This record gives sequence, C-alpha cells and structure tokens, in this order.
Amino acid sequence: MVHMLLTCLLLALGILMPLSVSGQGGNPYDADPAARRAGAALFATRCAECHGADARGIGAPDLTLLWAAGTEDERVFRTIQRGVPGSNMPSSSAPDNEIWAIVAYLKGISTVSPFEDNVGDPEQGREIFLSMCARCHRVATQGGSLGPDLSRIARIRSRDRLLRSIREPSASVAVRYRAVTLITQDDRSIRGLIKSEDAFSIQIADTSERLQGYTKSELQEVIYEERSLMPDFGTERLSNTDLDNLLRYLGTLRG
Amino acid sequence: MTFKSFLRTLVFVVLTTGIQAPVLAQNTESGVTYEDILNGLSEPSKWLTYSGDYTGQRHSPLTMITPGNVQDLVPIWTFQTGTMTRGRGFETTPLVLDGVLYVTGSNNFAWALDARTGRPFWQYRRNLPDDLTYGSSAPVNRGFGILGDRLFMVTLDAHLLALDRKTGSVLWDIELADYRIGYAATLAPLVINDKVIVGISGGEYPTRGFIDAYDPTSGDRIWRFYTVPSPGEFGSETWPDDPEVMARGGGATWMTGSFDPELNLIYWGTGNPNPDYYGEKREGDNLFTNSILAIEADTGTLRWHYQFTPHDLHDWDSNHVPVLADLVLDGELRKVVMVANRNGFFYMLDRVTGELLVGKPFTDTTWAREIGSDGRPIVLNDGSKGCLPDPWGGTNFMPPSFNPDLEMLFVTAREVCATFVPQEPEIVPGRPSFGGVVWIDRDQGYGALRAIDVKTGERQWEFRYPSATMAGVMTTASGLVFAGDHEGNFMAFEASSGRNLWHYQTGSRIWGAAAMTHVLDGRQHVLIPSGTTLVAFALPVNQP
Repeated sequence: MVHMLLTCLLLALGILMPLSVSGQGGNPYDADPAARRAGAALFATRCAECHGADARGIGAPDLTLLWAAGTEDERVFRTIQRGVPGSNMPSSSAPDNEIWAIVAYLKGISTVSPFEDNVGDPEQGREIFLSMCARCHRVATQGGSLGPDLSRIARIRSRDRLLRSIREPSASVAVRYRAVTLITQDDRSIRGLIKSEDAFSIQIADTSERLQGYTKSELQEVIYEERSLMPDFGTERLSNTDLDNLLRYLGTLRG
Repeated sequence: MTFKSFLRTLVFVVLTTGIQAPVLAQNTESGVTYEDILNGLSEPSKWLTYSGDYTGQRHSPLTMITPGNVQDLVPIWTFQTGTMTRGRGFETTPLVLDGVLYVTGSNNFAWALDARTGRPFWQYRRNLPDDLTYGSSAPVNRGFGILGDRLFMVTLDAHLLALDRKTGSVLWDIELADYRIGYAATLAPLVINDKVIVGISGGEYPTRGFIDAYDPTSGDRIWRFYTVPSPGEFGSETWPDDPEVMARGGGATWMTGSFDPELNLIYWGTGNPNPDYYGEKREGDNLFTNSILAIEADTGTLRWHYQFTPHDLHDWDSNHVPVLADLVLDGELRKVVMVANRNGFFYMLDRVTGELLVGKPFTDTTWAREIGSDGRPIVLNDGSKGCLPDPWGGTNFMPPSFNPDLEMLFVTAREVCATFVPQEPEIVPGRPSFGGVVWIDRDQGYGALRAIDVKTGERQWEFRYPSATMAGVMTTASGLVFAGDHEGNFMAFEASSGRNLWHYQTGSRIWGAAAMTHVLDGRQHVLIPSGTTLVAFALPVNQP
C-alpha cells in the first residue's frame, strides 16, 4: 500500500523519472516536503521494525542522529542500498527515488546532537569510562565485549537515551543482551548473556566473556533474568557531575 | 535345447551382459496410476501426493521407527540444493516411487534423486522472468504431483508444467494467469484420476483467486472456479456492488487441498480478501475468501462453503491442508474435515454438508474466543489494540498431522502479538496492496507443538519452542510425531504424551516443510527439507 502511496505522491510531483545518479550528486528530493511524506510511509513499512516508528532505534541505531554526526546524504543512501554486511540490515533493491525519499524523510527529522552544547569534562569522563565501564564496553581497541561497543555511540544514541541507559539499564534490554543464570548439576551458578538458544541447548557468554554451550537436560535450571547484566548506576555510584563528564566523553565517540 | 539348458543359457546371457533383474523391473515401470494414489500410504515404498494420501492426514502406517528406537535415528545422506529462499523456507514434500525421489525447490529448481544416496539423476531449472511479482517475494515451491510418467509442477511466473519423470524435460507448459499483475504459483498440484488440480498465489496483489482443473495429458483446462464471484453470482451479495472490487478481491488458493473419492469432492482453502488490512472499500463478508470450499471434482461446482474469518482484516488466509477423517461422534459415524486455522481456532465440519461441529481456540487468540450459534466468530477486538494472532497466524500453511488411533491433531501453534494499522492503498496491477502496516512483537512471541483432541477441541499437551515456528508435522502409526522448529531442530515426540524423544540440529530453520517417510530396502526412511538441504534419516543397519 505504502508503495502505491509513494508512487502516487511521486507521480503528482512529476519526479517518478529514473534518476541517473546512484547515491551521488546529492539528494534530488532534499527538503522536498512531498518526498519526505513518501519517505515516511516507506520508512514505516520497511525500516521501522528495527529502527523504531520514530527512527530513534530499537535494536538498530537511532537514525535521527546521523546528520548531526556528520553523515552525508550519499552515505545514508549507499547504506540503505547496500545494507550492512554482518548485521541484520539487508540490502535494498528499491528504486533510487524511493531510497532518496527515505533519506529526505530521515534528514527532515534529524536532530542537532545535544552533545554539542553538553556540560562536563570529556577527559574526566574518559577516566570514569576506563574505571567503571571498560570492563564490559569497548571503545576502539580498549575494553570488554560483553556490552555494546561504544566506539560510535554518539552517532547512534542521543544523550538522553544514554543517560537513561546508565541510570536504569534494566528499563529496556535489547534482545541480544538478555541475561541468564544457569544452575549446573553440581550446583554451580553461571551467569551470562544469551547468545543463542533452542529447545534443547543454550549458548552463552559468561561474565568473563567465555563462550559456553550447554545442553538444557544436563542443567538443573535455566533462570531467565528480567534485569540487565549491567548494574544501575544511580547517584550513589555515579554522581551527577561524573555522569555529565561521562556523557560528554561518550558524546565524542563517533567512530 | 531342453528347457533346463535354455534356462542355463538365459542365466549365462543375463550374467555376461550385465543385465540384472531389478534393473529390468525398473525399466518396465509404467508410472503412477490413479489407483496407486488412491491406495495412499498402504504401499509404504511410495509417497505419491503432497500429504501422502488424499485425506491430508500426513499419517504414515509405518511402525519400524518407534518411540523405543527413535533415539537411534541418524542422518544417512544430505542433498544440497544450491538454491535458497531468502526469508522463507525449503517448503517441499518429496514424492517417492521405485527408489527415486522427486523434489521441487526454491526458485523453481527440481530434481530426481536416488533415495538411497541423495545423488541426483537430473536437475530442472526454470528460466524465470526478472520482473516476477508475488513470486519474487516468496520464491518457493511445495512439491510435485505425479501421474503416469508425468510430474506436475507450478511456477513463480504462474504456469503449470508437466515434466517427464525420467529426464526432467518439459512435456507441456501452460499459463495459469498473468504473473505481471501479481499472480504466482507455489503449491504442490493435487492429481485426481484424470485431472490436475491447482490453485494460485498473489492475494497481496490486486488479483482474483481461482482453482483450476487440467487434463494431465494435454494440459487443457477442464474447469475453473473463481473464489470471488462475479456480479450477480451466489456470494456477490457479500461484496460492494462494484465489479472492479470483486475482480481484484483476493481469495488466493495457494495450498494443496484434499479429496474424498467417494463423495467426489475436493476440499480447498482460500486466502485473504484484498486489500489485506484495509476493509472499508470492501464492505461485507467477502465470500469466498478465508473459507474452506467443497467443490465437485467433475465440474468445479461449489457444493458448500464455510467462512472462518468473515471480512478478514488481518491476512489470515485459510490456506491450510484440510484434514479428512471418519469419526464416531455421539454414536454416529461422521465424515468430517478439520482445519487448525490461521485465525487461532480449530474447526471440525461435516464434510458432506459443511455443518460446523467443533470450533474452539487452540491459541491465546484475542480477536474472538468463541463461535456463535450462527457459525460466525464473536469478534472482540479489531486488532487496533494489538495482541491477536499476528498476520502469520495462530498457525499457518505448514501441514498439521492427524493420528486416527489417538484422534488427535498435531499442529504447530504460534503465539505472537501484533497491532494492525490499516491505510487505504492505491490499487496498481503488479504492485502489492496490503492496505496498511502491522507492528509485530517478535521478541515476545513463541511457538509450540500442540496436540488437539479433535472431538472436543481441547488441548492435550504442548511442547514449547523458544520462538514462533513455521515447521509442519508428520505422524506415524508407531505413535511418533515428527516436527521441526525455527531454531533448526528436527524432532520426534511421543504422540500420546508430547515427550520429546529425539532431536537433530539441521543448521537452518525448518520453514513451511513437514517430514515424509517411506520404506526402501526394508528400512524406514524419514526426510526433512531445511534451509538448502534435504536430509534423510534412518535407523542404523544393525537395528532390528
């Protein structure tokens, strides 16, 4: 249906002609309100399942930050067209004009990064990161891999979202970061992240990042946890000043 | 020459020329007769139609593999197709005859395989146009039909082919419908006596469904039944008075039906009305969408119909294998047809009259919880608030299986919430017209193998899977249930209890396929398609 709607809109605009460019020469529909409406409709059916209805990300990145992070139209176009190898982001065979319409829509809802007028000291924030976060989170080549890689976090998450994720990480846990505790026959307790699971087996990364597979029938119990492996960083653990410093540092991480 | 010396000479000639009796026997095979298909699975070296026989029960009488020895089941070969279906599955059911498997695959590949080794005799690949419509979004195929030495196969560009089973060469090729406006074909043809019965895919496009019968020899069409009536015909009163709306009203027929040779009736499911989610421009029940049809085999005339989901707004196609059985109900032997429906309900109908006998939810469906005395669902929720079956349904087309001894239907159930947001579509031939957006809560859903007591509709047991599953089911008379899951496990269960007895990780989700089984060299084989592979299992040769 949305395809039809787009076609109608583009026809009405007289812009349903083949484009000679493929991700080069800028967006022919840049700032075009009708193209943005068409792009919004296409986004709702093709992209929103992973990127969220508001494009602010569910499992996939927050797309409203792309332009604030310095990403250019052509790169967004190419990413949609080619997909992201190794991720859930597929390539698209959609016509160029449809992809450009989506790019125009996303650019229209993009926000200026709140990090730019942030408070806090990024150097002190880096020290806090190394002491409190790096065991589980990686930046470039430093840090652990149990939690999400933060090397490009400022490109894909807003300051507000990061703040919530630090203060209350269990409020929203992405599927690939769900925690589990396994109780073995000899009463050992093994806590970790579920990497994969079927009816008969479970594969985890334990809190030491060791990859381990278990047959469920050989376990006493599999305890699925509601809470994230990441502890809450309330004010007693991380003062508001330290949080500002940390967020300021995270705001510099653009890959 | 005496008779004895003649025999000695004959034996000498046979031995020295390398001619062996089994080869002679194979070469004189005259192919499949209608009687062979009628006999169904009573000859266990054969599997000659999609569900094994005309009942759609997918229940084998074989008892070599049992609950006591199934844990010893091992893979004996794997066939790599080299072709895959992005986002869907390897959905076929192989046919087997004289130790040869006839298999269709994704993207309209097909093969004849040595059932002993999985090695190919021939491969067929159709040259498909590059502007497929529905066929590009679901480039699947569910199997061959067979009669004589002809194999029948439908294609993604909406043709019906007859192939020579010995060579894979095309004997005839006819167009079912114009693929460019949205049609495709994916089902396994149903062969009955002197007809090849097929249906059509494309209900997400502005198309009009139909069921066709073709002459197996010439490919000439014998009859066609449109699942959406023409103006003035019976059922047209359930549509707006607009010929254009009916002419693209949907009602696709993309799953193989069942057949009662005594009643000479074909039972066939129909799909959603189009647009899928937007119903304001198609007021009314929209017959004969989302229904089961009883059609006279000789003429294509509708005998009766029952609509599971009147005026569907959720893409709950009723394209299921109808399961036929003869059951004693309240002391009376009834000929029944059963369907576990995509709308989350299990139904049993009298297959002579279409009378509803049982209608109960087998899932946690919230759109309705009961069927009223008028045979219509009592609708509670239109979907805008979420938590119905999602568009993939409480189950889907993946075959269920019925064990007549236990009187239990085994079905893959799905419990996934969705919220439907309808929007009016533009109607353009060749473009999909879903009519809205659906938000599916994939993270919270799950799947389950469920056993339903068919006389009451009550659930007897379930085995849960971590995620919603699209794999089919097969049962055997030894009391086994073979099923698959989205994580790639092919499994065996004790039919009476649901206890898992065996599992094998195939490496790819089992999607739209159900197992089949046959005997070869005195050994029971079980086959399952998964991903890009077909895997055959058997007990080790030293097993009794």
